[in-house]
Amino acid sequence: MMKKIGTLLCAMVLVGGIAGCGHNSQSGTVASTDRRGTLVNDPPLRVASLSASGLAAQLTAMPSGAALLQLAGAPVCGVDVYYLKYWTVAPDDSPQLASAALMVPTGSSSTCSGPRPIVEYAHGTATASTYDIADVSNPSNPASAESAIIAAVFAAHGYIVVAPNYLGYDISTLGYHPYVDGAENAIVMMDALTAARKALLSTFTPNTSDDGRLYITGYSEGGYVAMATVKAMQAAGETVTASAPSSGPYALEAFADAIFFGQVDIGATVFAPLITTSYQHAYGNVYSQTSDIYSPTYATGIDTLLPSTTPLDTLFQDGKLPESALFDSTTPTSSTGIAAVDTTADELLALPSSAQYGASLAALFDAGFGTPYLVNNSYRVAYVDDAIIHPDQAEMAILNHQALTSGDVALAASPSIGLRQDLNLNDMRNGGWAPEEPMLMCGGDEDPEVFFMNTQIMAAQWSAYLGTLVNVLDLNATPSGSFAQLQSAFQATYAGLVASEGASTAIQAYHTTEVPFCMVAARDFFGQVQ
Amino acid sequence: MQRKIITVALGVVLALGACAAYAGGSQPNDIRIGAYFVHYDSTATDITGPFTPPGLNTSIGSVTTLYLAYVRTLATHWQVEFAFGYPPVTYAKGKGPATVGSLPYNGKEIASIRWVSPTLLLEYAFFSPRAKWRPFVGLGVNYTRFIDRQITAAGAAISGGPTSISLPSSVGPAVTAGVTYRFSGRWHFTASYSVAQVNSRLTTDTAGILRSNKVHFWPNAAVVSVGYSF
Repeated sequence: MMKKIGTLLCAMVLVGGIAGCGHNSQSGTVASTDRRGTLVNDPPLRVASLSASGLAAQLTAMPSGAALLQLAGAPVCGVDVYYLKYWTVAPDDSPQLASAALMVPTGSSSTCSGPRPIVEYAHGTATASTYDIADVSNPSNPASAESAIIAAVFAAHGYIVVAPNYLGYDISTLGYHPYVDGAENAIVMMDALTAARKALLSTFTPNTSDDGRLYITGYSEGGYVAMATVKAMQAAGETVTASAPSSGPYALEAFADAIFFGQVDIGATVFAPLITTSYQHAYGNVYSQTSDIYSPTYATGIDTLLPSTTPLDTLFQDGKLPESALFDSTTPTSSTGIAAVDTTADELLALPSSAQYGASLAALFDAGFGTPYLVNNSYRVAYVDDAIIHPDQAEMAILNHQALTSGDVALAASPSIGLRQDLNLNDMRNGGWAPEEPMLMCGGDEDPEVFFMNTQIMAAQWSAYLGTLVNVLDLNATPSGSFAQLQSAFQATYAGLVASEGASTAIQAYHTTEVPFCMVAARDFFGQVQ
Repeated sequence: MQRKIITVALGVVLALGACAAYAGGSQPNDIRIGAYFVHYDSTATDITGPFTPPGLNTSIGSVTTLYLAYVRTLATHWQVEFAFGYPPVTYAKGKGPATVGSLPYNGKEIASIRWVSPTLLLEYAFFSPRAKWRPFVGLGVNYTRFIDRQITAAGAAISGGPTSISLPSSVGPAVTAGVTYRFSGRWHFTASYSVAQVNSRLTTDTAGILRSNKVHFWPNAAVVSVGYSF
């Protein structure tokens, strides 16, 4: 009998051991649809939880973090950062998985919990495909500095922040980034916002909710995307409480014309392939083959070069891209046979001179010429000829040193070059629209990367609304008005940079130095528009 | 591979059972009940995965649980022990920085895991079967299956949300040494010390984000039990 019991016991344990029993905790629900704006994982993943003092400590440990803290003010709230996956669509309407950051203020005060406004932030140009603005605590992520700025400026002061990673970055498998494609990136922004509003209901602090106010901002490429989002949301009948696009290439056609005319901006050799790849995917009219635009040195593979997992410096070193030589230093000439066109074109195709632009600007633009160069001469000549024959009125006015007014900033009527047609289509002047709610455009008038002409042209286009719905902040202007302190602080910071690094190094950092100042200006502006 | 090892182990049990039919002696069967005092000399690689700060590790808390065993005498000095415990709940604790962000980490119980961990041992017992004291040593195989894996509230906070845990079963060698003290004809006390190799990979899934680390549990089990021979 005992022998039988022993055998039975053994069998029970063995069976139990092999078959297993018990259960396992679950990781939330996964959406079964790829409809636009669908939140994939609910609840979303919290990737960081920082107290107000912890955030201050983290910022202090970062390069320039102490200065950022001083500018943004000590954190009032803690910040929980969530990583969202959501569904959106590509320019060809195919469903695309994308990711975003959701930053939720935490803390017991009414500034940090309960119904709070949302700031949606559009990030700047990124060359690293691993760019993830949710990865705020990972210094090796190329987005961490920008992420820290929006956490410190907005979330730590009571704003819920939604910040999408554009298609082409992080988990996106699109294979390219729809760079300065206004309608497409507006869709991404709106879909991320939809998913984030859903995610807000199931965070660790579900009592912190959307109070209905929506502010939109962004910097550089993100400034453009922010403005495109305002335009698209207005068209869709959705309310944007206020917006603050900053240092963005809004007037794409005029900006590109200026560059082809020889005013080569810092970063042009990076922006060029991002734009041509984007528009070629969207419209198919940029080139038949990459060598139509790009010199033989760089044409092969340039359409799949960016965004990349390879650091930009390595791409330069490996000869995949020139660091600054957009155009040939042996400049070409025009041969349309139309004397007026050829004469003007040849002047614009020539190397920038001090007589035209002054010594420092001429030196800056001159760095855009060299050998080997990125854009082949025949394409540059064709573009310049087109820009003369079908002029962008705003760029022509700037060339002629005329003050911009609403009457002379019109887009080219019918550009014939594919790239110019696409720039024209995506230019924020297109569509005859104006913001219906207050907008602040922040920037600096010596920005060597995204020229301030973009802001000036939009301001001229919307001159009827200037000072009311449309506001311009030039950080480099003589300090005055409600942003005087910020203007003074920016100018002192930049002067310090010039003193410590020298003018030629400092100018390289001008565009990025503006970021926290424009974001604090945006926050102050939003605070005035309830 | 693991399935093969289990199959071989089962074969050994069956073979020994058959062998037992031929075993001599008037009390070839022995059942034991007692207490397992399990301490884990665990080592683990740091947790890796997206959104995971460097230096996060885990340790395993000690447990005490019910010990049950069936021992079959095969020959004068040879016996086979099938030992198992009431599946204990073990806590995985955070090991590393005091906090992750503002959340406490080091020493916090982040997950609970229940085990089924039977061990089959072939043992050599010294001295005569009638001796009061019989030291023994043994070698065998341990099979560990992790069931009822739960993230704790602190673990979910650290992980970033509701989290599922995967911990594949382990098969590894086990060794034991002990002594039996027979205090009456059929009754005896046994004390032993066993070590088993239990390796697994702990993988968590939080909102589709997978993180993992390899864990060597190295359970050290001290056992005291009372047994009855028949």
